[in-house]
Amino acid sequence: MIAAQAVSRRFGARLAVDNVTFDVGAGEVFGLLGPNGAGKTTTLRMLGGLILPTSGTVSIGGERFSRSTGAALRARIGFLTETPGLWDHLTVWDNLLTYARLFGVAQPDLSVERTLRTFELLDRRGDRVAVLSKGMKQKLALARALVHEPSIVLLDEPTANLDPQTARMVRDLLRGLRSRGRAIVISTHNLDEAERMSDRVALMRQTLIAVGEPAALRRDVFGRRLRVRFLGTAPAAALLAAIAARAGGHDVRVDGAELSMVLESPDADAPAVIRALVDAGVQVREAFDEQPALEEVYLKLLGGRGDAA
Amino acid sequence: MSGRRIAILIEKELREFRAHPALILPVVILVVVCTLLPLLVIVILPRTMGQSLATDRGMAQMIEKAQAHLPSLRGLSPQAAAEAFLFQQFLLLFLMAPIVGAVSLAAYAVVGEKQGRTLEPLLTTPISTSELLVAKVLAAFLPSIVIEAAGLAVYFLMVAAIASPGVLHALLTPRAAVLIVALGPFAALAALQGTIAISSRVNDARSAQQIAVLLVMPLMAMFVGQIAGGFFLSSAMLALFSAALAGAWVILVLLSVALFERETILTRWDHG
Repeated sequence: MIAAQAVSRRFGARLAVDNVTFDVGAGEVFGLLGPNGAGKTTTLRMLGGLILPTSGTVSIGGERFSRSTGAALRARIGFLTETPGLWDHLTVWDNLLTYARLFGVAQPDLSVERTLRTFELLDRRGDRVAVLSKGMKQKLALARALVHEPSIVLLDEPTANLDPQTARMVRDLLRGLRSRGRAIVISTHNLDEAERMSDRVALMRQTLIAVGEPAALRRDVFGRRLRVRFLGTAPAAALLAAIAARAGGHDVRVDGAELSMVLESPDADAPAVIRALVDAGVQVREAFDEQPALEEVYLKLLGGRGDAA
Repeated sequence: MSGRRIAILIEKELREFRAHPALILPVVILVVVCTLLPLLVIVILPRTMGQSLATDRGMAQMIEKAQAHLPSLRGLSPQAAAEAFLFQQFLLLFLMAPIVGAVSLAAYAVVGEKQGRTLEPLLTTPISTSELLVAKVLAAFLPSIVIEAAGLAVYFLMVAAIASPGVLHALLTPRAAVLIVALGPFAALAALQGTIAISSRVNDARSAQQIAVLLVMPLMAMFVGQIAGGFFLSSAMLALFSAALAGAWVILVLLSVALFERETILTRWDHG
């Protein structure tokens, strides 16, 4: 639905985004992760047609962004910018109504009312934005991005400043949008959120370092590690390591009453490892695939220098 | 260019002015001053001090010269002719007041959106640069012109109430009509469009305002030149001047669109 093809962007001598290619389909949530200054916001701005790439193309439904197509394509996008950017002197209602009308919504009043209800802001419709809390402003900015029911949604830090309850409401809302076939791109520092919401994530530092489903990235980076916990007195570490190695495990680690190893074919090899341990008299309490946090993947791929987590 | 989107943005700007009346205060103050100042100088002060404009030798010479261009002065008493002449001249100053006041609105127009970080969300909509800039100019222009019209109505009513007999009639000339209907509005539009162009290139409203005030200097010079009797602009000359200002406005629209760099404005704040 929205695609970036070999997109680069320079600001003077500084290369902000370098040769980025990805596409996001209908009903997909795509997470952009990276440290500050990695080019996430610039990438979102290019996807939203706010700035044009120095080279490469951004297209929506096969139609390329250019100066002549920009206005029509922007009408199909809902963009939550990095800062809420609301008109403080205007009311909640007037802020949203202005945008609904600028986007050419057929029945703007109805649309605004429905959106405010969805975001639980209807009772604040007459309040000036200046008196709202940070969280409410963020909610309203998100409402503004969605008031025209765009087919593509670009969100720069959507749950920043939101309390846990509202953040959850936003996540539920985005899941709803995904199920209705919207293509959603999220730029975030919140790796937990990215993992929970994204079908695919891209790790970025000027260029894309890795793209894929969070689970696949974990596998690619760390392999599949089996972790086994024991009951009672653990056998000697050397014995455990030898058993694990015989059953095909490598990078074997023993830590107290816990043994872990990387298996090339976990589905085939894990039963053999457990059988060998049981045969050696080890009381196995539980065995499971290790799930390193996305943060581990992030830090490993970005060389531990990222400051986003 | 979409008139609908321009109208939506103008409506939003007007709502902001209504919610934040201090923005419009400079226009109101200047119009009030320009309404009252001529009455004070031409009618109230001389009467309070027991003096007559008609007895001033220099004034009599100026009026004699002006009668060639302003036939409506003929047939009036010397006092009424002097009052009518001066009221005519002050009309030009009166028309400049809303321009100077509105410049402060226009100077804030784009800079304010930049400072409030409201410009980026606005640029995510289908609005084009020309629509945005024209809307900003018209939004500053409309309240100024309404306030000016109200001020003019008060001006003429007060002239009718306290000036010498026949003065009001002498003021209602084609020349005054050209000043009010053409010169004033087109001068305002050109000055405002120039201000908007400057506003989109600077990062604080004060800089925009200071530069923009220079745009009204030629009009100020024209006023001073006329008051000093250096020259007199006839209706035809004023109409020609108005047409030139209308052309200048169109050129300034194109220039301000060319100068408005969406990308630079967005990325100057943050290269995230």
